Amino acid sequence: MARVLTGVRIVLGALFIWAAVTKLPDMAGFAQDVANYRIVPAALVPFVASAVVGIELLGGIALVAGVMERAAAAVIACLLVAFIAFLSQALLRGIDLRCGCFGGDEPASWWTVARDLLMLAAAVVVARGPVPQRQVGKDLTDPA
Amino acid sequence: MLLRAGFIAVAGAVIGIAANFVSPRPAALGRPVFAAAESPGAVCQDPRASVARISVQEAKPLCIACAAAFVDARSAQEYASGHVTGAVHVRPGDPVEPLLPKLGAAPMVIVYDRDRECAAADQVATGLQAKGLRDVRVLTGAWADWLAAGGPGESGTCALCTGEGR
Repeated sequence: MARVLTGVRIVLGALFIWAAVTKLPDMAGFAQDVANYRIVPAALVPFVASAVVGIELLGGIALVAGVMERAAAAVIACLLVAFIAFLSQALLRGIDLRCGCFGGDEPASWWTVARDLLMLAAAVVVARGPVPQRQVGKDLTDPA
Repeated sequence: MLLRAGFIAVAGAVIGIAANFVSPRPAALGRPVFAAAESPGAVCQDPRASVARISVQEAKPLCIACAAAFVDARSAQEYASGHVTGAVHVRPGDPVEPLLPKLGAAPMVIVYDRDRECAAADQVATGLQAKGLRDVRVLTGAWADWLAAGGPGESGTCALCTGEGR
C-alpha cells in the first residue's frame, strides 16, 4: 500500500512539474488562457497566472522529492478544485476555449474535467495518507 | 500541515512571479488581460495558432463568388439554426473523408466556430490540413461577426454530411 501511495505521489508531482514547465515558455499565452475563463479580474490575471505556474512547480517538486508532501498534495488539491470549477463554469456557459492545462492548444472539454477529478482523487489520497516515516529520523533516534 | 500548505502556496506564488520575468514570453504584470472574446479587433488572433486567419471582410466576397468552401465547427443545433450559405458541418473529431471531394475542389477552405477563441475551428482546420487540403483558414470574429457583417446565411441540417447527430 505504501508503495502504491509513493507511486501516486511521484506521478502526480511529475504531472504538475510537467504542467508548469510547458507553460513557462509562454506565460503571456497562459495569462490569456486564464483571462478567457472570464472569472479572474483582468488586472489580476497576469499575477494569478504566474502564481499558478509557480505553485504547480513547487507543489510538484515537493511531491516528487517527498518533502512536505501531504501539505503539497493539499495545495495541489485546492488548485484542482479551482481548475474543475473554472472549467465546468466555462463549459456550462458555452465558452469555447483552450484549457491551458499543459500549454499548447488543447481545448477545454468534459474529458479535461474528468482528468482533473482523477488527479484530485490522487491528491486527496496523498494528503490524507499516513505521515511518512523518515529513514533519517529513525537513524537519529535508533541507538543501533 | 496548514502552515506548510500556506508556505508552499506563498513561496510557489513568489517563484511563479519571478519565473515570469525569465520567460521568453512573459505576462505583463502591470497590464490587465481581457478575455479574447471581449477584446475587439483581437478576436481569433492568437499568435500560437498554426492555421492562417481570414477576416470576415475578406471572406464575405469569396462566399458570394463561391470561391471558397465553408466549414461550420459549431454544434449540430447551432448549425441547423443558421450557418454560412453552403457551409458543411464538421465538429472536432468528426470523420471528414466524405467531405473531402467537395472541400478539395474549392481553392480555399474557411472554417469558423461559435466562440471568438476559435479553438474548435482551429482543431477542425488542423484536421483538414492533415488530410491534404492546402489552403485552410480560420475565420476571425467567428459566426458572430459574420452575422453582424450581414454575410450570406441559411438554416437547416447538413445534406452533404454523414454520421450521427446531423
